[in-house]
Amino acid sequence: MTPPHSRVTQQRQRVDGAAAFLLHAYPYSETSLILEVFARDHGRLAILARGARRPRSALRAVLVSFQPLELGWFGGGEVKTLAKAEWLGGMPLLAREGLLLGYYLNELLLKLLPREDAHANLFDAYAAALAALSRGATETAELRRFEKAMLRELGYGLLLDHDGAGNEIDVAGRYRYLVERGAMPEALAESGVLVTGKTLLDLAADDYSDARSLAESKQLMRHLLSHYLSGQPLQTRRVFLELQDV
Amino acid sequence: MATPSSLDALVAALRCLPGVGPKSAQRMVYHLLQHDPRGAERLAKALETALRTLRHCDRCNNFTEAEVCDRCLSSKRDPSQLCVVEMPADLNIMEQTHAFQGLYYVLMGRLSPLDGIGPRELAFDRLLARASDGVVKEVILATNLTNEGEATAHYLSEMLHARGVKVSRIARGLPLGSELEYSDAASVAQAFIERRDY
Repeated sequence: MTPPHSRVTQQRQRVDGAAAFLLHAYPYSETSLILEVFARDHGRLAILARGARRPRSALRAVLVSFQPLELGWFGGGEVKTLAKAEWLGGMPLLAREGLLLGYYLNELLLKLLPREDAHANLFDAYAAALAALSRGATETAELRRFEKAMLRELGYGLLLDHDGAGNEIDVAGRYRYLVERGAMPEALAESGVLVTGKTLLDLAADDYSDARSLAESKQLMRHLLSHYLSGQPLQTRRVFLELQDV
Repeated sequence: MATPSSLDALVAALRCLPGVGPKSAQRMVYHLLQHDPRGAERLAKALETALRTLRHCDRCNNFTEAEVCDRCLSSKRDPSQLCVVEMPADLNIMEQTHAFQGLYYVLMGRLSPLDGIGPRELAFDRLLARASDGVVKEVILATNLTNEGEATAHYLSEMLHARGVKVSRIARGLPLGSELEYSDAASVAQAFIERRDY
């Protein structure tokens, strides 16, 4: 007789109709792909797509990055097997600079998101950022919004309306932001990223209309991300800088 | 008994081919040694010769034995049009179309930031120098219609525009003879988004 828990296990091992985005794909054997997928209710997963690289594979037009997909898979191991993939549409393909910004978001997710840890809010923030990029937005404000949501979702939330000592941020004040500790009045700290109080409050409100706030937010986010990436360099940033240089 | 080391080395060497794992490499080795030693010799010689004689054409970057390949030297080709493709296989299919009489540049890859492939790895500067020789009037970007191919095309077009070269991009649409009903939704959507006056 089948033990009662096995059906549950089997159900857990088969997933249908999961909203997902493709983050990256690696060739595997002669004709297959290993997909790095971000699914709304399942987090980041590795899924084997058999035959996806065959010349006439129907998956070619479906397994596209930056497009909303509906995926089904089975298997309980680290690498699942793709059962079904559908293209949902409704989002124009990314184009021009938007593509490289999209790759940047994907690289952050690939490097910072642990496997099989669902982050529905982060998924929604990612979908919103892609939607903005697909409409042609190239303002870095979209990236800051996403980076902030990602740090919050991963449990590295920023403390932006109070300083490290619990005092309200003074809009006219100058601070140094320290990883894990928050903002300290400039006079009291020796290290950390220099920011104005207005930048911290603007960042808290996701208001990037002030050029200085935007520039300082970028520096602050870069510092924080590099800390959480433990110094791993971002390939997309290197490629972007090289493209400016050519 | 241990496997002879030269046999091990051969198995390991064959695994550099895409899609060849330890099992199939071993099968190839036993086949070559046992059933086709002359084939093995031919393979070894051909590989050795190819490695010694082949190089990248100075003008189109495709494989050739001379400094400049026959196609680049041909007087029948139109040197004012330069078609940029990702791989030699893409050049071959373009040639099969008989639609293009100009010259080519083969990138030998595509921008793929997540794999660390950027303009340096693809030697964008060589293509830019090739395209700004004063003879080329139009660069046709025929990189693949994938995200990577599209990113490659975009950045190349920016750089070429900045150098005053006219740039075009191959069109995206439905395959010839295809019916909407049987086409994939993503391609139909894109064909719709990029519809043109008619």
